[in-house]
Amino acid sequence: MRETKEKRGVAFTIFVHMVLIFLAFLCLFFFYILIINSTRDHYQIQKGFSFLPGTHFMENLHNVLNDANIPVVSGIKNSLLVSVGAAVLATYFSALTAYGLYAYDFKLKKPAFIFIMLILSMPTQVSALGFVRLVEKMNMMNTLWPLFLPSIAAPAVFYFMYSYIQASLPMELVEAARMDGCSEFGTFNRIVLPIMKPAIAVQAIFTFVQTWNTYFIPALIISDNSKKTLPILIASLRSADFLKFDMGKVYMLITVAIVPIIIVYLLLSRFIVAGVTLGGVKE
Amino acid sequence: MASISFKHVVKTYDNGVTVIPDLNLDINDKEFVVLVGPSGCGKSTTLRMIAGLESISEGDLYIGDRLVNDVAPKNRDIAMVFQSYALYPHMTVYKNMSFALELKKTPKEEIDKKVHEAARILELEPYLDRKPKALSGGQRQRVALGRAMVRDPEVFLLDEPLSNLDAKLRTEMRSQIAALHKRLQTTFVYVTHDQTEAMTMGDRICVMKEGVIQQFDIPQKLYNKPDNMFVAGFIGSPQMNFLPALVEKAGEGFMLSVDSCRVPVSVAGLADYVGKEVILGIRPEDLHIEADMVEASGHALIEARIDLAEMMGSEIYLYYQFGGQKMISRIPSKYDVKEGDRVCLAPDLEKLHIFDKDTEKAIHQTLSV
Repeated sequence: MRETKEKRGVAFTIFVHMVLIFLAFLCLFFFYILIINSTRDHYQIQKGFSFLPGTHFMENLHNVLNDANIPVVSGIKNSLLVSVGAAVLATYFSALTAYGLYAYDFKLKKPAFIFIMLILSMPTQVSALGFVRLVEKMNMMNTLWPLFLPSIAAPAVFYFMYSYIQASLPMELVEAARMDGCSEFGTFNRIVLPIMKPAIAVQAIFTFVQTWNTYFIPALIISDNSKKTLPILIASLRSADFLKFDMGKVYMLITVAIVPIIIVYLLLSRFIVAGVTLGGVKE
Repeated sequence: MASISFKHVVKTYDNGVTVIPDLNLDINDKEFVVLVGPSGCGKSTTLRMIAGLESISEGDLYIGDRLVNDVAPKNRDIAMVFQSYALYPHMTVYKNMSFALELKKTPKEEIDKKVHEAARILELEPYLDRKPKALSGGQRQRVALGRAMVRDPEVFLLDEPLSNLDAKLRTEMRSQIAALHKRLQTTFVYVTHDQTEAMTMGDRICVMKEGVIQQFDIPQKLYNKPDNMFVAGFIGSPQMNFLPALVEKAGEGFMLSVDSCRVPVSVAGLADYVGKEVILGIRPEDLHIEADMVEASGHALIEARIDLAEMMGSEIYLYYQFGGQKMISRIPSKYDVKEGDRVCLAPDLEKLHIFDKDTEKAIHQTLSV
């Protein structure tokens, strides 16, 4: 009796593992193709798929880095600048807004909250045209500013911060700071922000990755080669002259583009996993 | 000079609810005043108005000679200890205590001196580098006190500071806070719902109910001469027994009758109540089982069957019914009384309390303090 039960348990475990391995394979296989293909040259790739890496890794890298039409180094720099800028602005100002709506009582508090939530339901594409015209009027076309400044108003990040602050910031702490002689802004910067560190870390990662991968808005704003971000460069490489088209180079560029994200994820995965339950449970 | 004075203060919230209808209260300099009452009685709101964390709808609030209605909390020279301690979780004990001084731009050496002195008094020196998370409840409480101490405030406000501690620690901290008051010689305003804390710590106690002060006096007076039934019932544990009694004229004085029990009293104020009912209040410890007291009491006897006898160690609590009311008596534990026993108890005629049935106000207490 016991034995059959144990056998059944083992069979079930094997089955579960097989399903999970299959799912993991589905998720990771494309990354594997990407990395393998970045080590092969154009003709090898055209011949078909291979499980074994090629020998053209350095060559592809060299081609990517030295292509005058594809300024990869400046692309990485631009992407970094925009992503870091967006992450910093989105988290700081969302936390500030969340704190304002949480800690203060004012007449239009509820409408303000609803308004922010409404923005959340608006897809980027809908407002894109208006946004581009606005940028044009402000003489900011072909600059990096419009790519990260709007992150100041990030409704999704705000909502996360608001939930977190509700669960983890007792008003007594704010009152204690006020009695200690802290100014209102000082209370936010010196007491509230440090308490919100875990939420800020999670949202900083998400915003960083999201901005890093954004193609749509940068493609509308940036035309100057030296100001292009990585996703635009990848796209422009794909649509390059057919005769010069080199698949190895494309794969290499994509690999270069995802490396920083993989590093960020690996370093901060602890925060990301913890962040899923943030705000839900009070310590 | 840090007296506190409420002059016709009203507190109405935005939703139109008035929690403090008209508060007049004078707290003297260096006094330890306890605000006590059931939850929702407005004691915490009163304290928060002193702190400046709650605005005042009407009336004036003075700290010393200064009108502080519109003065920001940080400019009132007060310190507050919160129920949840409200320690900054990301700062060490030292930082928590020095934070206010740093904001005031106090020189570093002075901050260091003050923090270490407070830590020495509160026995916190070994923990200065720890974060609040790594401290026990009692230690956190002491850090909260220390944070208030280092600022040398004119007024100390404490909002139910002991309610999160276990019973033993609470007794310990009670005496520590009382000692701190003596040492610091500043005005203390302490909010609690626990009448034991109020009785043991306060120079004067302000009993509140529904935003109205019921009585503001020294602990002995509150206990021995309560102004009304609410104070009589709130102060003292177990609480005072109340019996509806009929007033009759008896010679020069009066007679209060409850069932077979007839209690002679000589209170001038009862003249208007002849033929009417009043409420007779007797504290549990003023009902005696001792044979000589019972014999001497004549008809002033309460006879009852004991429903429950609780052994408390040095004394026994007797629960029974008399005159249609639930009653409690406290007798020395040397008397062997059990459930179901019939006993005779004699009220101490010197310590009776008589209240008007309608207004619930004391008609006159027979006891003089």
